[in-house]
Amino acid sequence: MSTVLPAPRATAPAGAAGDGSGVQPRGQWWTSPRFKTILLYVVSIAVGFGLSAVLVAVTHGSPSKVFTAMFDGSVRSWGSLGYTLDNMAPLLIVAAGTIVTVRAGFFNIGQEGQLTIGAMCAAFVALKVHPSGPLVLILALLAGTAGGAIWAGIVALLKFWRGVDVVISSLLLIFVAGQLLSYALSSPTFLQEHGSGGATLTESDQLSSKVQLPHIGQYPNFNFGTGLIIAVAVAVLLGTIATRTTWGYRLKVLGFNPVVARRIGVSAVLFGGAAIVISGACAGLAGSIMLTGQAYRITPTFSNNFGWNGLLVALVSRNRPAVAVPVAFLFGALQAGGGFLETTGVPTDLVNIVEALLVLAAVFPPALMALRRYRLKRSEQAVAAAEAS
Amino acid sequence: MEAGQRPEEPRSSAAPALEARSLTKRYGAVLACDSVDLSVRRGEIHAILGQNGAGKTTLMNMFLGLARPDSGEIFLHGRAVSIADPARAASLGLAMVHQHFSLVGPLPVWENLTLGEAGRIDKRRTVTRIREVASRYTLDVDPLAVVDDLTTGQRQRVEIVKCLMKDPEVFILDEPTSVLTARESIELFRVLRQVVRQEERAVILISHKLDEVLHATDRVSIMRQGRLVAERPTSGMSAQELARQMIGHDVSLRQVATAVGHLQVQPTEDSDATGPGASAPGGTTEQTTAGPPERSEIALSIRDATARGLDGRLLLDGLSLEVRRGEILGLAGVEGNGQKALGDLLSSVLTLDSGSVEVGGKSVDLKQPGSMGRSGVGVIPEDRRQSGCVLDMSVAENLMLCDFASVSSRGFVNHRRMLKEAARLVTDFDIVAPLLDAPLRSLSGGNQQRVVLARELSRSPDVLVAAQPTFGLDVAAVEYMGKRLREAARSGVAVLLISTELEEILDLADRIAVIHRGKIVGEMSRREADLERIGMMMGGQAA
Repeated sequence: MSTVLPAPRATAPAGAAGDGSGVQPRGQWWTSPRFKTILLYVVSIAVGFGLSAVLVAVTHGSPSKVFTAMFDGSVRSWGSLGYTLDNMAPLLIVAAGTIVTVRAGFFNIGQEGQLTIGAMCAAFVALKVHPSGPLVLILALLAGTAGGAIWAGIVALLKFWRGVDVVISSLLLIFVAGQLLSYALSSPTFLQEHGSGGATLTESDQLSSKVQLPHIGQYPNFNFGTGLIIAVAVAVLLGTIATRTTWGYRLKVLGFNPVVARRIGVSAVLFGGAAIVISGACAGLAGSIMLTGQAYRITPTFSNNFGWNGLLVALVSRNRPAVAVPVAFLFGALQAGGGFLETTGVPTDLVNIVEALLVLAAVFPPALMALRRYRLKRSEQAVAAAEAS
Repeated sequence: MEAGQRPEEPRSSAAPALEARSLTKRYGAVLACDSVDLSVRRGEIHAILGQNGAGKTTLMNMFLGLARPDSGEIFLHGRAVSIADPARAASLGLAMVHQHFSLVGPLPVWENLTLGEAGRIDKRRTVTRIREVASRYTLDVDPLAVVDDLTTGQRQRVEIVKCLMKDPEVFILDEPTSVLTARESIELFRVLRQVVRQEERAVILISHKLDEVLHATDRVSIMRQGRLVAERPTSGMSAQELARQMIGHDVSLRQVATAVGHLQVQPTEDSDATGPGASAPGGTTEQTTAGPPERSEIALSIRDATARGLDGRLLLDGLSLEVRRGEILGLAGVEGNGQKALGDLLSSVLTLDSGSVEVGGKSVDLKQPGSMGRSGVGVIPEDRRQSGCVLDMSVAENLMLCDFASVSSRGFVNHRRMLKEAARLVTDFDIVAPLLDAPLRSLSGGNQQRVVLARELSRSPDVLVAAQPTFGLDVAAVEYMGKRLREAARSGVAVLLISTELEEILDLADRIAVIHRGKIVGEMSRREADLERIGMMMGGQAA
């Protein structure tokens, strides 16, 4: 496959070269790029399921029972579908923010930490501001958003003030965020549960029902948290800004070519900084929604990989906001199914591994395609003489 | 056949080093190479001449294993070979110096040249070997320099050394002199010739420059629309005849003169282009512009501009320059003397350590991104692929790059209005773009350059900076660019033409300034321009 594709693109005369859909000389439907892409996904996901099944069988479990349980826990019933949607909401918000940053040419991978800080800030406001009511709920969500934004702001500051790599600083700040959470949970002034008697590591008090996000519908019928509505609204808003506004276009120029961006007056500090902060704000909001919509209390392992998985949603959807919605649903279902699986007595570690395998299966095709595009670009550079001679 | 490889064997009787027999390659509806027969002998420099899209690159790509022929055969020393991939081409001794470079910027030269090699990396040995090859071919290459710090010309020398270190039997150079200075070009050809003769290699030279072909090559093959239309010994051909064959109809003298390039400067060669075969009246330096009014107002004024690079090297050294409305100021100079820094300065990519820039009498805040553009300076940058456009964005987006606001309302870009505006520019500037939504990457180099030109001119700038605007373009595109620059000047734009091709400057400029080591060393009007004097100034000598 890979030997056929690059050549026409790199050498075709003007007009013949398209965006990956280059004219194939003797094209059959089974050699079309679209079919190959679909095939790649099918094979990859089949391998993911296959490996999971082998693993479950090796550990004396029943693969069919495991997969049935995952199916039951994610989409089988109205109740489980709602649970999937609740899981999807934070993933979608994190992904939407990530997409904005990637379009600007930066790669913030610290969502896990930004989400943690956001949830902490939201929890602090929700627990400490009295009397609690809807206004406090809104305040908590805003505080969470601001917390995530500030945590990402550190990354932007380090980048544009001292030139620290965004990937490195955002990654390392995840661990700092974890430590901060541990501290807050062990300090009575901050989030430590009342009456826990000074245990070294505890969880926070439960949020009063007045600062919980309302649910639409009743368990066990179809029900979902209003967090999903916020998530979709945020995704639509950011998607529109990124793809329709002059700001979004200029951001795209920055992402593709910083030199041209500077020429046309796009400041890397302002646009890039804003993009990084936006993704942090999104992660913070996602954390607040998880707190006020599902968890109701913050624990040391609160973030539970939602930041990482949101990042993966952005990767799998190849940074297209509209695609991120179904992908986030898929990942939400996986998370919901995995959660349900644990309640059926399958060991947590095995559940994690199965989940990871399936995530890997979903991430592999876009990662492979990205690698190919990169290789193609390299070979294109080598033969770029095509244009001028 | 084995005997044929001995140097003692008379060349004429030996099989050609590289031979193509009815090579055909089709891309969709386009016949890129139409039954091409080519034979390149050992010990000769063989020119392949042709306009953009004539099929030269496709032909080379088939030799280099980057494209598979649909039909036809390739013979190396009389032996039929199948070149499946670039690795195979390399093992067969086919190597190419590309026009666009494939060097890793942050790495030093010597590390770049070890890339792709198997086995242990031996710095000392590699450096020695580079020095050896560089000195044998008198190419000035510092193996320890970091590629990012090199000028375009120096990078090309690195590419050439990289290629020569592979000891190729057939050595393909794609537009090698487009980034070399006149002196370097002459030197390169002298060395190439010597090496070709002594080492029995074959050299294929892809070129647009008629003069180069005339004076530096033994045979020339001319391609037009995928066909090989002529294969002749170069001696006895004239520039006019080459141009006619290449374009397929008679061309004006100026087109020839511009395409001929800087080697033209040598007085003895002048007679070739303006000789008896000339069909149009007038000389190569015919001027169509009446010139601007003597004292029109100053549009661009740079005062005592001084800037250092990251490594502390002085890029601009107190450069002062004034360009008036309605004139074309040609800035001549040997490459690497501050032209790039000047272009960057006027693109608001470079800030000054001291000095100032005024546009239309108003000082420009250099620290602000895009301040030059806002002040009315349009720039056609030297390296359009890197700083002129965004190859991954669409043709329409690239045309509106500087001014998304003009096709948007309340912050939202109106896609239909953008396409409409882009379509207008595409028509106005004769850009061949099948799809406005297709990435700019899909256009040919000449058309990419027109997109940049169209964008910069459509903003009706007060000052237009054109840095090496015809680099890598063919005769027709060169002519078009010249026409547009003249029109811009006539309409009152102050045009600063930065070029290392003296002929281009002589052809277009009303006034000429010479840059050397980051400062202006002399200025003169076109009328008093004297090649010898400019040449001496370019070399840094007082004149």
